[in-house]
Amino acid sequence: MREDLAELQRKAEAELNSAGSEEELLAIRTKYLGRKGLLTLLFRKIGNAAPDERPLLGRLSNEIKEALSVKIENALEKLAPQGKYGALLQEKIDVTLPGRGVRHGRIHPISQVSQEICEVFLRLGFSVAKGPEVELDYYNFEALNIPKDHPARDMQDTFYVEDNIVLRTHTSPVQIRIMEKQRPPVRIVSPGKVYRHDSDVSHTPMFHQIEGLWVDKGITFSDLKGVLTYFLQQVFGEDTVLRFRPSFFPFTEPSAEIDIQCIICGGTGCRVCGQSGWLEILGAGMVDPEVFKTVGYDPEEISGFAFGLGVERIAMLKYSISDIRLFYENDRRFLEQF
Amino acid sequence: MLVSLRWLRDYVDVELKPGELADRLTMAGLEVESVDEAGPEFTNVVVAKILSIKSHPGADKLSLCEVTTGDENYPVVCGAKNINVGDVVPLAQVGATIPGGYTIKSSIIRGEKSEGMLCSEDELGIGEDAAGIMILPGGLSLGEDLADALDLKDTVFDIGITPNRSDCLSVIGIAREVAAITGKKLKLPEIVFTEAEENTKDITSVDILNPNLCPRYTARIIKDVRVGPSPHWMRLRLEAVGLRAINNIVDITNFVMMEFGQPLHAFDFRFLEEGRIVVRGAQEGEEFVSLDGKERILKADTLMICDGVKPVAIGGIMGGMNSEVTDDTGTVLLESAYFNPTSIRKTSKWLGMSTDASFRFERGVDPEGVVRASNRTAQLIADLAGGKICRNCIDQYSRKIKPVENIPLRVKKVDEVLGVKVKAGEIKKILKSLGMVVNKTEDGSYLVTPPTFRVDISREIDLIEEIIRIHGYDGVPMSLPAVPERTDIKNREKTLEEKIRVILTGQGYSEVINYSFIMPESANILGLKEDDEGRKFVMIKNPLTEDQSVMRTSLVYGLLDTMRKNANAGCFDLRIFEKGKIFIAQKEGELPLEKEKIAGLITGIRYDDLWHWKELLSDFYDLKGCVENLFDGLMVRDVKFKSGTDVPLLHPGKSCGIFVDDKKIGFIGEVHPGVLEKMDLKRNAVVFELDFDFLAMHYTEEIFYREIPRFPISSRDVAFLVGKDMEGERILDLVVGESEELLEKAAIFDVYYGKGIPEGMKSTALRFTYRSSDRTLTDDEVDEAHNRIVERIAGLTGARIRGKED
Ligand SMILES: [Zn+2]
Repeated sequence: MREDLAELQRKAEAELNSAGSEEELLAIRTKYLGRKGLLTLLFRKIGNAAPDERPLLGRLSNEIKEALSVKIENALEKLAPQGKYGALLQEKIDVTLPGRGVRHGRIHPISQVSQEICEVFLRLGFSVAKGPEVELDYYNFEALNIPKDHPARDMQDTFYVEDNIVLRTHTSPVQIRIMEKQRPPVRIVSPGKVYRHDSDVSHTPMFHQIEGLWVDKGITFSDLKGVLTYFLQQVFGEDTVLRFRPSFFPFTEPSAEIDIQCIICGGTGCRVCGQSGWLEILGAGMVDPEVFKTVGYDPEEISGFAFGLGVERIAMLKYSISDIRLFYENDRRFLEQF
Repeated sequence: MLVSLRWLRDYVDVELKPGELADRLTMAGLEVESVDEAGPEFTNVVVAKILSIKSHPGADKLSLCEVTTGDENYPVVCGAKNINVGDVVPLAQVGATIPGGYTIKSSIIRGEKSEGMLCSEDELGIGEDAAGIMILPGGLSLGEDLADALDLKDTVFDIGITPNRSDCLSVIGIAREVAAITGKKLKLPEIVFTEAEENTKDITSVDILNPNLCPRYTARIIKDVRVGPSPHWMRLRLEAVGLRAINNIVDITNFVMMEFGQPLHAFDFRFLEEGRIVVRGAQEGEEFVSLDGKERILKADTLMICDGVKPVAIGGIMGGMNSEVTDDTGTVLLESAYFNPTSIRKTSKWLGMSTDASFRFERGVDPEGVVRASNRTAQLIADLAGGKICRNCIDQYSRKIKPVENIPLRVKKVDEVLGVKVKAGEIKKILKSLGMVVNKTEDGSYLVTPPTFRVDISREIDLIEEIIRIHGYDGVPMSLPAVPERTDIKNREKTLEEKIRVILTGQGYSEVINYSFIMPESANILGLKEDDEGRKFVMIKNPLTEDQSVMRTSLVYGLLDTMRKNANAGCFDLRIFEKGKIFIAQKEGELPLEKEKIAGLITGIRYDDLWHWKELLSDFYDLKGCVENLFDGLMVRDVKFKSGTDVPLLHPGKSCGIFVDDKKIGFIGEVHPGVLEKMDLKRNAVVFELDFDFLAMHYTEEIFYREIPRFPISSRDVAFLVGKDMEGERILDLVVGESEELLEKAAIFDVYYGKGIPEGMKSTALRFTYRSSDRTLTDDEVDEAHNRIVERIAGLTGARIRGKED
């Protein structure tokens, strides 16, 4: 009886292995496992066996039934798709044709860069401040320690609306307007459009600046270096090499220009950096005591630093754009690249 | 400013290589923008020695020389007589170029071979002597390049001098910085000269009628000058820094201006009527021909240097033709003065004349350096033009410029500002190296008196800047101030800006940025009425071009302009948006009203995927959908699109105002065909403009979750036959007005007119969706509610129900 069962399993498995189609598999299933199948018949004979062998034989035949069922199911599963494959193939589509839907638009590169820069300062607890683009001479110049008929005015060619109203030449007037309204501490960044009477490959009469200001008790030049280094390494990468060098702005003292090592040539000198190996990125400085006095802060109590940068310049470096005017031509072929 | 290294070395020893010096200057605040090598105008001229001289067999005036460059010997035919065997001379080798564009070739001169040319100073362009061959000093190595051997090469630095550093607008000023940076000593030129018996004061006089504008004026008479070319060393220096050599007198005044930073002027004394100087304002409308040959009409407040009768110079800016030094000038009156910087700047601006002199005066020259510069000039004129210096310099200095003295400097404050400890000893050393007088007080602080040429220093902070500038910014450590725990509140405007960008780009719209200024004619192009607010332009007094002469009052013109530019580049399909300010002029003297707007435009095909969609043209509803999505994304509710706008640039039948809570916040519509035509646009475009400031006030980020309904919906469709003018939204409003509790939603799903619909009518089909929150509705319940609403709508609008007409 045990041999019969083993023999049956061997034969069934041999047949299964050589079966190639769904029909054959189904036939094997009927032949062995069907209501009148060979295994079923054998199972019924267990009653004739010796009583002490019956449980063992019962378990054995159940095990064989289970094993065969699984094998047949597996084989059927493997075969099933093959059966419909041909028919499905008839429904083949050209997957290389473009997908459907409106193509997403792009955010202007100036907005992208401006946003990225502001984010760095927001992480340091700065908030965004805005001010008018058509500005009083007072806020744009005088309150920033640039009196009328001062040579420092030559640094910024100005569009005039009236004798005392100008298109702001920098976003610095915002710092005056904020400090007039708010007591220290002040931590702001002010992005926005500025205007200068200038137009060529590297100048457009309108461009974007971000001005920043951190005023509190005990802010030092060392803090200026720390914060701006952090900022530039966030934007240009941790390994960016910087240099701080003395410069002049009427509303800061000491003043600094901050250069990064040329990201094009790595400092060996190229056309972009004018062979110097350095790229001028930021203007900054400690807020001049005169400015504090103008807004009613006591320079003996309070100190702070301000900085400003041109967004276009950074975008041009970031994306290797050589003509600043492209930003304002809004050519679709340009916009679509960002 | 251009600075010649050769010239610089006259006053300070420079051991650094030019590149290193440039770096050091830059790091001390004198930004070197370029470093250029300058050299003589010859190549391939080397040091050679004459081995033998024989007479030329074929020519009496020529001789045959054998010269050596150490390695090789060359035969050279020479015409000069001043040479002897053993002389060391310049040899222009075969292939050499010399000034005048000559190239030296191997040649046969009257039958004798000549391999090169021996040169005079003049031929090499390095001196005036044209008479004979240049005899070189001993100690030069044979074969060495002559330019190297004689140190004829120069390096010229272009230094950007910031407006505060007028003291650096001179070679000595730069030399002083170099000395301070490198720890070398500054060597000032020694000024010594002999004065003649004759007294300047007996010959001329100076009257300053306007001492506020001219606090100090000095004059000196120098007689018997011989006007001629300047010596080579001076020309070399002037030309290196971009000044053209004119004649010795003019060149000397320029030289001293570059040397000390004090502009000077020499008048031909012959032409000074009454032989005296009067400093006064011009007469209104007075005419004057300046040295550049241009006729100037003067204003009453223009400060003029005059003789007893007429103006002879525009004070501090430019001399006049009428008193110019010429070849036959014999006696000069030398002016050295201090003018009021503001006054010079105003005049220079008004006249549109910026000269080397005005540039220095308006930034402030050293008021105490005026006489020294005059003396230095007199010395050089005596030395180089043979002048006799008359005794005594007239010095009118009625309005003394008060020098800044004893600025208190606290060492503690230095630390406080910089965040780094600079030792007291170093502070003192730095300040002294810059020419300051430093005195210690009882409390340990300092009293610092800056030199008079440092017009930028008057406060403690100015001193601190000087200290750190020389100490070096690199010497300051980096620190991060503590960021307070409470960071500022979320900025709604910035959040809105970013949300809008995400929503609009997600729908295929790209952001553009146009100039804020446009052309005034745009008001006519857009068809604005005479009283339209859009005509209240903020006008720019000094625009770059007429096209950019007023500030925009709407973003639409810029978008249309972008569309035109793209069309010109062959791109007719656009979805764009812009966020920016518009400007409405207010009363004179007041700032304009600035409003932030957001605007968009669509033109061309609806989808780029031609394969899927063919050429479906975009229209009003594309953009409206975009705007609806925008409101939806910002969760601004109760938005109404109401037809009948008063926006003249829009198609009157395909446009509407956009309202929230009955407040108009923008418009949307197809651009008026007339506007398109005027802008030479061939395709339709749809535009919208919205009030950003309003959105900033009204958008919300608050979300209240509502339970998802558990019971099913029942729908009923019905088509109303209505007049063609009946707007869909009116029907929907009426439905909403019924306040039917079971009605969840009503939406238009079809609008049809034409075949099968009576003339002047249309069919508007609505789908009504019914649902209850607490039970499954029975058909009877739904029918009852539905029929009631439909009948009410029909009653209110006079609509017939399609399919029920009969
Ligand atoms: Zn480079």
